[in-house]
Amino acid sequence: MLLKLIVLSSASLTLWLVPLVGLDKKVGWHKGIQGASLCAAVACAVTAGNIARKQSEQEEIEAIKTRAITADVIDEISTSAYISQQQRQQEAEQILNPREHLERALVLTYDEGERSEPIAQNQLAQAEQNGSENGESERTERIHQLQAKGWGKAKIILEIWGVSKGGSQKYKAAEAEYECLIQKSGGQ
Amino acid sequence: MRAMYLANYFVAGCIASSFLGWVASLHPMSFRAIAFLLAALGIVWTAAWLLDYSLSQFLKISIQQLQAVLVSVLAFLIIGLGVFLCS
Repeated sequence: MLLKLIVLSSASLTLWLVPLVGLDKKVGWHKGIQGASLCAAVACAVTAGNIARKQSEQEEIEAIKTRAITADVIDEISTSAYISQQQRQQEAEQILNPREHLERALVLTYDEGERSEPIAQNQLAQAEQNGSENGESERTERIHQLQAKGWGKAKIILEIWGVSKGGSQKYKAAEAEYECLIQKSGGQ
Repeated sequence: MRAMYLANYFVAGCIASSFLGWVASLHPMSFRAIAFLLAALGIVWTAAWLLDYSLSQFLKISIQQLQAVLVSVLAFLIIGLGVFLCS
């Protein structure tokens, strides 16, 4: 198509200039050839212009398509990134708070029928037991870490239970739990 | 490619104005007819140049585009007739 365009353009220029320069206007048949070549030159130039215009429009359409595809790809990538971030956040929330998740699930189960109530209570109790065991093991691990750092008992209790040393009931309970955890970990 | 099609249409205009010169050289009556046509074209061109703002609104194109068309029309008329007269 480009070759045709170039040929038509050069033909139009040639048919325009060569007869006008090379032929004599006073000779009758020369003049006739000049007129015919000018008509042919106009036709060639217009045809070449139409071909070039179609090519130009196609190029513009291709450019628009390319831009649209690029925009679609960018949009898809950003959407998938957003969704995966949401999924990760939900998974993290589920991992961090399994009890709440289970309670929600149980509420849904409970709403479905009262027959599921005992099952739900068992599941909740089991989850609480697992949660307390997990909490104990985490606390024990944390105690060992702080002991390795050289921290004392009062400081560890303040760090883990948030109770400062004194004669309060809370501190006594925390101290008892601390001792219990130390004994358990020592027994293991 | 856009420049190529604009150049081709410009060349077509130049050749067409040479063709008008050729037609004018055939007979005194055709010369008068072409002279009248060119005079009318000159009047229209001047009016379009003066009324460029309202004409661009009517044609829904920018003033720059309209002025570019008018300048190119003048250019291909001058070039085409000049080539015919100088050859």
